[in-house]
Amino acid sequence: MDYRRDIPLAITFLIGIIAVLDYYTGVQVITDTFTLIKNWGVVIQGFALGLGAVNLLRVHGKRISQRSGGTDWMFSGWLLLMMAMFIVVGLGTGQYDAGPTYSWIYNAIYLPLGATMYSSLAFYMAYGSYKVLRARNFDAALLFITAVLVIMGNTPALAATFPGLFYTREWIFGPIVSGAYRGIRIGIGMGAVVLGIRTLLGMETGYLGRR
Amino acid sequence: MALLTEGRIIPLIAFILTWVATYIAIGMGKEGKIKIRRIAGLDAIEEVIGRSVEMGRPVFDIIGMGQFTDIYATQTIAGLSILSYVSGLCAKLGAKLYAPQARVDVMPVAIEVVRDAYRVEGKLDEIDVDEQLPYLSGTQFAWASGIIGMAARMKPAGNIMIGPFWAESMMFAETFDRVGAMQVGGTARTYQIPFFAALCDYVLIGEEIFAAGAYVSGDPQQIGSIAAQDWFKFAAIGLSILGALLASVGVNIIAELLSR
Repeated sequence: MDYRRDIPLAITFLIGIIAVLDYYTGVQVITDTFTLIKNWGVVIQGFALGLGAVNLLRVHGKRISQRSGGTDWMFSGWLLLMMAMFIVVGLGTGQYDAGPTYSWIYNAIYLPLGATMYSSLAFYMAYGSYKVLRARNFDAALLFITAVLVIMGNTPALAATFPGLFYTREWIFGPIVSGAYRGIRIGIGMGAVVLGIRTLLGMETGYLGRR
Repeated sequence: MALLTEGRIIPLIAFILTWVATYIAIGMGKEGKIKIRRIAGLDAIEEVIGRSVEMGRPVFDIIGMGQFTDIYATQTIAGLSILSYVSGLCAKLGAKLYAPQARVDVMPVAIEVVRDAYRVEGKLDEIDVDEQLPYLSGTQFAWASGIIGMAARMKPAGNIMIGPFWAESMMFAETFDRVGAMQVGGTARTYQIPFFAALCDYVLIGEEIFAAGAYVSGDPQQIGSIAAQDWFKFAAIGLSILGALLASVGVNIIAELLSR
């Protein structure tokens, strides 16, 4: 018996079966047991968060001490400084993430940076569209024509002037896209269920490594 | 109190039938009766890693931002199965692997998966998990910018992205494309599939990522289990056609049956 492989498989099977029974049945003892398991999961995740912080400290601490990666060590220093600041402000005030200082730092520094990254998606999408929408062959030409029709249907001024563009866009999204989309969704659903069953049966062992 | 939850009786029957079908398919796979089509994206992974070795540049494997406790857990498991395969190939062929992490609950498992692969090849000393599987951030765009920065600096020759992805999918695909990396992308998040299709060299669409672990294992039993997926897809197609025809003549028996 290979304990490093068989014990995780047994735990996966047991918890998986409890999760399945909790979903399909209304037996109180099963619901309570699954709630307890989910609470354990929350506690384990709390410890894992510490692991992430330790990993950051080790990786970036090493970079700073070795001055490695050109000027990258300075960014490592900045990262650790910000991490320490969030921890001190969060724990020091005793209000954790609900404190006004913590919220201010988060809202004034972190959120604008996140929003900046998100808004840069427009440029990424433009580049992606340029790469795709080149009518090099018949299939690409069809895609190009469809995309132009959808873009025109999405443009308020054009759709208001030529209502047919709006209805064409609706028709593309309805019978054509919905049909293909639902086919993919059904396949995904079946794939996920069969993968779940393979995991419960102990046949999908990739997540356990090559044991 | 009802023993079975209302509205989930038919799904339970379908689940049991899927379980039975999977068992039958596994049995048929064991006897060698099941053959599945080649999946070009999975066959290309070895080529991606070989290219990285030839060019002396690293290879990235990104498994997404999914967790074990959310509805994308199956995609995360699929991503980990591929990570296991990729890290095994990297250890064998001598490519330098980077797999930046975003989730603290998935990260220890990913580390173990990679360490196991290197251990099996007898090259455990060649992997530095702190450097090569760094925890970047648990928030979407901090994680995304971390990976974009790594890609821009290291100019990897290959990138494999299989798992659940959100808006960052476009950023990754475009950045790795710009640095000249050969890419294999796959996700079951339908809104992100077009982004991968636009910029990756190979794409795994939806369900193909769930078959990936079994496919790359080469184990006939696991490959057999994939056939069960197809049987139920045929059943779903049949029910859809029958339901549409019956609904057209005013009989909603299929819709009513499935809602029980």
